[in-house]
Amino acid sequence: MIRVRQITKTFNSGRPNEFTAVSGVSLTVNLREVTVLKGPSGSGKTTLLGMVGCMSRPTSGRIFLGEREITSLSERFLTDIRRRTFGFIFQRFNLINGLTALENVMAPAYPSGERFSSLRARALAVMEMFDLARKAGARVEWLSGGEAQRVAIARALINNPSVVIADEPTAHLDTRLSHEFMAIMRRLKEEGKTIILASHDPIVHDTDLADRVIEMRDGRVIADGAGR
Amino acid sequence: MSGAIERQLHIIDFTVSSLLRRKGKNGALLTVYTLIVFILASVMFFTHAVKREAALVLRESPEIIVQRTLTGRYQPIPISYVESIGEIRGVISARPRLWGYYYDANFLANYTLVVPADQQPEAGTIDIGSGISRVREAFRGDTIGFTGHDGKPFAFVVNRVLEEESRLLTADLILMREADYRAFSGIPPGYATDLVLKVRNPREYTTIAEKIVKLHPDTRPIVRDEILRTYDALFGWRSGLVIVIFGAAVLAFVIFAWDKATGLSSEEKKEIGILKAVGWETSDVLLMKFWEGLAVSLTAFLAGVILGYCHVFFTSAALFAPVIKGWSTLYPDFRLVPFIDLADLVTLFFFTVVPYTVTTIVPSWRAATIDPDSVMR
Repeated sequence: MIRVRQITKTFNSGRPNEFTAVSGVSLTVNLREVTVLKGPSGSGKTTLLGMVGCMSRPTSGRIFLGEREITSLSERFLTDIRRRTFGFIFQRFNLINGLTALENVMAPAYPSGERFSSLRARALAVMEMFDLARKAGARVEWLSGGEAQRVAIARALINNPSVVIADEPTAHLDTRLSHEFMAIMRRLKEEGKTIILASHDPIVHDTDLADRVIEMRDGRVIADGAGR
Repeated sequence: MSGAIERQLHIIDFTVSSLLRRKGKNGALLTVYTLIVFILASVMFFTHAVKREAALVLRESPEIIVQRTLTGRYQPIPISYVESIGEIRGVISARPRLWGYYYDANFLANYTLVVPADQQPEAGTIDIGSGISRVREAFRGDTIGFTGHDGKPFAFVVNRVLEEESRLLTADLILMREADYRAFSGIPPGYATDLVLKVRNPREYTTIAEKIVKLHPDTRPIVRDEILRTYDALFGWRSGLVIVIFGAAVLAFVIFAWDKATGLSSEEKKEIGILKAVGWETSDVLLMKFWEGLAVSLTAFLAGVILGYCHVFFTSAALFAPVIKGWSTLYPDFRLVPFIDLADLVTLFFFTVVPYTVTTIVPSWRAATIDPDSVMR
């Protein structure tokens, strides 16, 4: 269980351009469920995801991962938790151009020090799951939108995380690819992963896959209920 | 332990991929860097080799040379001075020398004429340096002509071509018999070009020089150490012509490193953000940048040093030898003896590889310490 208690995130604190992206948010994310954060652009979804995923710290408030309070941990421990627990799928996929699909998938696991041969085998196995094995040696900028998206998902899963976080995953996909993405999320849920999606795309937040839909606006939670 | 090594290997692997995918930029970087190291290494190898060569030659040269001057200008010295100077306490021997320069207008070259102390060539014959042999296309048995001091032609038969170990100082040399030299140069009997002294104790050089001036106020003693100092001034790291080349190369390196230190492209920043977001620590990113800096600078260092070595010892420093190699218009075709000073190589390494590696890390450190969620915006 991930518990978020009264977290606030303020950027450029004390400056004329001070801006509060998330304000006093509390919520609970249950394990092995799909939680969707819904809301318009600028509602604070991405900032909240970043804090839950140990990418940034809240200005105030606390986040618990299981029983462990993670907001006060040092960068090193946060990185370790981020690498082991979370897998991220970014809005624009954020693949590293110039590298092959396989190298992109393996990159999150490099600091773990796993033997190259077993890491490569694992990466190929994950890519195989998404029908990407043939594209392992191709540079990511040569891939189609759907292939790039699947590489991004494979990269998010390489460290076998228990939680998958996706920020506006369908923002740059057409309807067919968006449904394909949701089908993959369904598979992951069936495998027991916890999934947190942030989106203002109806394909994502109106899906029967969502166990909970949390609606945000202006940095606050305005609705929190069960999915369809 | 093996995990730590694997981690290093993975990061090195990633670094190599990173370098290869920016071939154009890194290639240009490597070229400029190699060029700078090449210039620095060439200067270093050249100056050391020349100084070493000169030191070898000067080891055999007299401790003190005595010249005669008249109103500050050089004059032939009376041989009669030998007796009085030779009696000064501490002087082992004193002997007159006959030598001078000859400008060959036809070949636009300067030659150095010397009458050897012993084993003088037969009358009418000369020994010539390899440079003259090459320029005049003269070999053993050939006759070559010169114009004497009075405008009369002189013909000499080449007795042999000198092939000395040190070609820098023998390439433009002509050895001839005393009588031939006097007739050719016009130095009258009883006079010599200068006197050379052998002195037992180096600490007495100054005292003996003072005594000579006292005895013969029209003389100017030159101590060997002064010649060595002249070489140092001309070819030393921090002086002479070399400082100009060296300074320019160092300045280029500073500009190059500064540019690197202040600039990190938005693409590179984004990549650092992605790596942090997917689970790399700041230290992993810095390690990657360290390997990147080291790979570029070490490659450039090794390539620059090897190219510099080839340039100096295989092509006889073809690029800047005409500027540095002395007054003569006859460029001696000499090969410097390969010589590497390890301390200087280490200095060069620390002045190029280390600053470059640091300047690669610093901007990345700034980028790597930002929150990884910036990549989500």
